[in-house]
Amino acid sequence: MKNLAAIAVFGALATLPGTLFAQTEIVVWVAGEPGQTTIYDELAEAFNSDNPDAKITVVKNSSDLFNPALVPALSAGEGPDLFTFGTGPGQPAALIAGGLVADLTDSYFEHNWANTIPEGIVIQTSSDGKLWAFGNEVETTGMFYNKAIFAEHGIEVPTTWAEMETAVSKLQEAGYDTPIGLGAADKWPISHWQSMMFGRYAGPDGIEDVLFGDGEWTDAPFVAASAKLQDMGKKGWFGPTPVAIGYGELMDRFWAGEVPMTFTGPWVIGGGIEAAGDRIGDFSVFAVPPFEEGQKIHPTNSIGSGWYIRNGSEGADVAVRFLNSMFLETEGRVALLNAGTVPVGPLDDALAQAEMSPLAVDIWKTSDDHAANGTVPAFLDTITPGSLTTVSYDGLQALLLDVMTPEEFTSEMQNAWASSKEAGEIMLPGGITAR
Amino acid sequence: MFLDPDSKWAHRLNPVLFLLPALTIYIVFAIYPTLSVIEYSFTSWDGISPEREYVGLANYTRLFTDKIFWEAFRNTFVWSGVIIVINVGLGLVIAAMLARVWKARLLIQTCIVLPVVISPMAVATIWRWMYQPSGVINQMLETIGLGGLATPWLGSPDVVLYALALAHSWSTIGLSVIIFLAGLQAVDEDLYEAAKVDGATPVQAFRYVTLPALRPVTAVVFILTLTQSFKVFDLVWATTKGGPIRFSEILSTYMYKRGALENQYGYGSAIGVSLLVIVSAATVIYMQIQNREDR
Repeated sequence: MKNLAAIAVFGALATLPGTLFAQTEIVVWVAGEPGQTTIYDELAEAFNSDNPDAKITVVKNSSDLFNPALVPALSAGEGPDLFTFGTGPGQPAALIAGGLVADLTDSYFEHNWANTIPEGIVIQTSSDGKLWAFGNEVETTGMFYNKAIFAEHGIEVPTTWAEMETAVSKLQEAGYDTPIGLGAADKWPISHWQSMMFGRYAGPDGIEDVLFGDGEWTDAPFVAASAKLQDMGKKGWFGPTPVAIGYGELMDRFWAGEVPMTFTGPWVIGGGIEAAGDRIGDFSVFAVPPFEEGQKIHPTNSIGSGWYIRNGSEGADVAVRFLNSMFLETEGRVALLNAGTVPVGPLDDALAQAEMSPLAVDIWKTSDDHAANGTVPAFLDTITPGSLTTVSYDGLQALLLDVMTPEEFTSEMQNAWASSKEAGEIMLPGGITAR
Repeated sequence: MFLDPDSKWAHRLNPVLFLLPALTIYIVFAIYPTLSVIEYSFTSWDGISPEREYVGLANYTRLFTDKIFWEAFRNTFVWSGVIIVINVGLGLVIAAMLARVWKARLLIQTCIVLPVVISPMAVATIWRWMYQPSGVINQMLETIGLGGLATPWLGSPDVVLYALALAHSWSTIGLSVIIFLAGLQAVDEDLYEAAKVDGATPVQAFRYVTLPALRPVTAVVFILTLTQSFKVFDLVWATTKGGPIRFSEILSTYMYKRGALENQYGYGSAIGVSLLVIVSAATVIYMQIQNREDR
């Protein structure tokens, strides 16, 4: 009897540490260069120390290789538990149809995500009444410029297209062969211009009409926007050889003060602070003036990507807790803001505590100033199917090289879009079924 | 219990046992994936869905009407042609010259072979930097008074493919040189002596002694260069992604775009199989020509 009791006590003790200290480990994939520390490493570290029952490992894959690595990993059932991926009507449709991502609708209601995720973002991350992704950070784009160069040549920040033309002319006369850097060798930087200009010419409704309605890319506003972009290229605004220069080289030249302007987003600010050092105060951001008389400025506003949980992940609850810690708790939101990442939802509390760089404040202020006009997607290339992205990238280079007309370009886009629609590769308008 | 080492069975089994580890690896990592790609090429598959719909030859018939495939096909042939001319032609000339050089031979040889061991991504980064409009190459041309030849190497539709082929050759020609050098060392010196006695010039000796003696080695270098050039992906992807527009699109980058980026794994596999067929056919044709000439 005595022996039996001893065995029972020993048995209970032996299982105790396992019960107390069992950790659920989850792997999180984010885009970034391996070895590079991102805010997500810091957030994961903070989460791990606050949650001894969980361990998060952040793995980075470079943007180029992220999707090609993710899809086979998920298909093999060995993908990450939590990962970022494109949103909107294009790219995630196949993941959802293939049953590779978890339905987050229960978490949405259980954790009151509705208080944080705006309805407009829920529409881009849901289908069939179910939420598939937690739309994470908000991205925007704006014209970054070198204040010192502008001041040296007596150039004011342009507010009309005529003033923009004058500014570019003055810079060209001053010897800047590339007044506006583009980095078009990498193709995707041109799509930032495309997204912004399509939005300006068609307005938010025009874009929505194509993405979720019967509108077509061959509609007049898109042709006009393409023609304007081509015209700017012909006038040498992007330099004599924009398609020969990659984005990395361009940004080096921009921070070095060799290129006065470039249209990009807040993700460059961290690198800019490192590259420009004390001269970072020389840089600021303005909204590209309306291209035509009577046109409104529609700030570009997109969710950079969404957080998805792998279907069948044993660490799904930890993944949800990690999302909550990043996006629902003020501490996480402040950390994201300090890193230049703007989380979705109301920012008041977090903004009061955050220490954002002045350049980040500038770009968000520029965006906020015109937000009442309605916003348009900043990255059409990430929310449309891959086949359309390929056609757009090649076509945008063709426009700049003047070997394709705007009509041909938009027509190729529409053909790719129609094929994707026919093949069911686009997501239908979202929304969550009320409970 | 154990087989007698001198028995007939042991003699038959021995080679099989020695081959088995390498053969297993080859089957698992080369044969099986190749067969899988051939199987996928007959399907419509997004790479995600557990079901693959068999579509027969639809992906192959689509190739015939796909203008981008034919652009990539043509570019691949131009690309390989340029690389073969440089790696086989220039490689042979360099090897022949090196074979006659004794001073600093090792140093020169090392310099030529060194790029072979550099990772293709590093090669891409180096050449992307050098080919910038304000990069080293254009600066050098300006310095030596040939500024008129300066061009945006990677941004010019007419030049980009040749510029990238040159970069590829720079990183692979060393292997050709080494193989040719090994072949040259096996050429009987008496043949050169005899040619000299017959009054042959160095060029004639090269034409009538070296070239015929190196025929088998040339075949090896040709096939290696051909297969290497057809399978290049990283250099082109890391420098131009097939651009500007599609002027440097080759079959491997096109296969990647369709398969991995657009989730058309069935069609991407068909492009991959076509690449395999082209390389195999080119190799067989070249070997046939060689054999006929040898006879």
